[in-house]
Amino acid sequence: MSIFTDYKKEIMDAAHNERIRIALSRAIKSYRSNTNSALKKFPHTIKMAEEVREIKEKAIGEMEKLAQQACEAIEENKGKAYIAKTADEALKIITDLVGTGKLIVKGKSMTGEEIGLREHLEEQGNQVYETDLGEFIIQKMNSRPMHITSPAIHVPKEDVARLFSRITGEDIPPDIGVLVATARKLLREKYFQADIGMSGANVVAADTGTLFLIENEGNIRLATGAPPVHIALVGMEKLVPTFGDACKVAEVTWRYANYTVPSYVSLVSGPSKTGDIEKVTTYGAHGPREFHVIFMDDGRTELAQQPILRQALYCLRCGACLYECPVFAVTAGYFGDKYFAGIGAVWAAAVSRDTERAAAVAYTCLTCGRCKIRCPVQIDTPEMIVEIRRLIAEGAGSPSF
Amino acid sequence: MSRKAKDLIPPGLTYIADNIISKHNILGESKASGARWAKDLNLPKRAETIFFAGCGYQYTSGLESLSSLIRRMDKSVIGAELPMGIAGFQKKLGIDFAGMYRKVLARDKGSDAQPLRDAVRVLKDLGVKFGYLADEEPCCGALLHYIGLQKEFARNAQEVYGKLKSLGVKRIIGIVPSCTYTLRNLIPNCVDGYDLEVKHFSEVVLENMGSRELQFPREVKVTYHDSCQLARYLGLIEEPRQILRAIKGIELVETDWTKGEWATCCGGGGGFEAVFPELSQILAVNRARELVETGAEIIVTHCPGCIMQLKDGLKELKNGNVEVLDLAQIVAMAMEV
Repeated sequence: MSIFTDYKKEIMDAAHNERIRIALSRAIKSYRSNTNSALKKFPHTIKMAEEVREIKEKAIGEMEKLAQQACEAIEENKGKAYIAKTADEALKIITDLVGTGKLIVKGKSMTGEEIGLREHLEEQGNQVYETDLGEFIIQKMNSRPMHITSPAIHVPKEDVARLFSRITGEDIPPDIGVLVATARKLLREKYFQADIGMSGANVVAADTGTLFLIENEGNIRLATGAPPVHIALVGMEKLVPTFGDACKVAEVTWRYANYTVPSYVSLVSGPSKTGDIEKVTTYGAHGPREFHVIFMDDGRTELAQQPILRQALYCLRCGACLYECPVFAVTAGYFGDKYFAGIGAVWAAAVSRDTERAAAVAYTCLTCGRCKIRCPVQIDTPEMIVEIRRLIAEGAGSPSF
Repeated sequence: MSRKAKDLIPPGLTYIADNIISKHNILGESKASGARWAKDLNLPKRAETIFFAGCGYQYTSGLESLSSLIRRMDKSVIGAELPMGIAGFQKKLGIDFAGMYRKVLARDKGSDAQPLRDAVRVLKDLGVKFGYLADEEPCCGALLHYIGLQKEFARNAQEVYGKLKSLGVKRIIGIVPSCTYTLRNLIPNCVDGYDLEVKHFSEVVLENMGSRELQFPREVKVTYHDSCQLARYLGLIEEPRQILRAIKGIELVETDWTKGEWATCCGGGGGFEAVFPELSQILAVNRARELVETGAEIIVTHCPGCIMQLKDGLKELKNGNVEVLDLAQIVAMAMEV
């Protein structure tokens, strides 16, 4: 039980941390009020979320086919597409593309976090800049993200000011406007010096090979637009059959992530090109000359075979459930693994194949079910938690048990 | 249970599971001591409709003592070694749990299980005919399900059904939300041809209340805390509120957001309190705070686990002005029964 003892200590330290509790109670309050008004303004979202559930249910059953289809579409668009069976395979494909000694600007990606992408690239002798403000803070603090959409949700502005003062050697006040401007200044030139830009994707249309990238800061636009090469790492569960399906998934995702509409949605289907001179198609106009997409399985197709646990793959990563979890409200992402709260146990078991961590997370869930009420695609986390506990008790069932 | 599983399931939960399997209740108490609350209520032991008391209310004092002890340990230096077997604690500290319950139960016989006594009086007063199996009442085994011991749960479910059928039971009035959900929704998945009709106390009260005058002894502001199992699992959100609204003298004041299906869990779900005693208490305090902010003088809820948690939460908040009562107690007071 040693891992459980360590885990419990981590959880309890977080629960006693007044800063986490304050930061989260503010976040929860503003999340609820923003989401309520976003849903009131766009009431069709609720019905659309039901449609999205159906789209995901179907898509998860045919991930391999969709990945194949998306690869063909991307190749047709003159991009390069790959299917990685495992995390190691994904890392190898990326390493072969990147090499060493490169400057990389990165958009936030949970899938990247899942396989330790940044650390891996750094070990290969590359310089990696996280460009999402929250993720940038986390990287500089040498910490790990504590929420899907707001990775630095547990860090108050005073701590950010201290961090930025240390980085810049200047005296940066705990003024949010100043902090944001400082990050902008620190990162601005990196976009244009970078050899490679990296991203994930919120949803991918298999028919057109289009990646949907939802954001507010504009860092993803720059990171995937300015450097000469764009590499995207995408979990296979992000694939849906058509462009129209993907639009629906994207809208529901941002609405439940508490936005009426995000500032930016980038749709990327291939490398930058022009035919303006003599109608000769030439690649690498203003955007990247090369576009690479890696679709990663890493346990997902096996998870899709599990009748109850497959629901975890419907997740849009909107982060809504986390705001409703009473345990998360006092512990933040310490309740979880690579992914957080109850559903995180499923990912720990099926994707990270860390049974001990999965057990620890599974027994931290209250099975109170409020996350399910909030979830746009009605993922029944209590049901999955009981199933994970059954697999643990019976010592069988999934490759990881 | 596989050997590996033994290392992965928190010991607090295996302790409870052992009690259910060997003693047919969550505390490992004797069945007769649990059923003592109904001694003077003259309920028939054989009836087609039975009142299902469940473990929670019957063993409240025992559970309270156990939980407060575990919490103290969890916060102490020894707590750093948690979780380890509760039985291990007993040995290490020389505490005799079984003896402690006996003492507590002997001392506290009257006030313990008050919600059950009140529920029975209310149902009788409304003209509902029912019996009580007393020491023959089986444990629904819900915790086995939530711990992940599905095979043990299924075996227990078949025994429960067989026993109820052999005693001639056709209809069940449940009161503990978790037992009610288990008897209504979980056990039928494990039994072929399950034909018991299961209703919850609040549904039965509402059906039989008619136009009866209900008057609370004083003017009072009351808030209602939905238990997870009652609201989100059984979908009984309006029923308790309709009952409360029918009582003159009671003003129902509710939280802005955290009510009904959005109610915040008290922190005592599915054995959580046995694995994370201290964290469970933090959550109890958070929920108690939300409810107190409504300005209510009484927090009404309808689950033995929630009652324990919220009382403890109020105690930690050093709030002595707000009371926690079960819906059955409130109705009984309003009926003057």
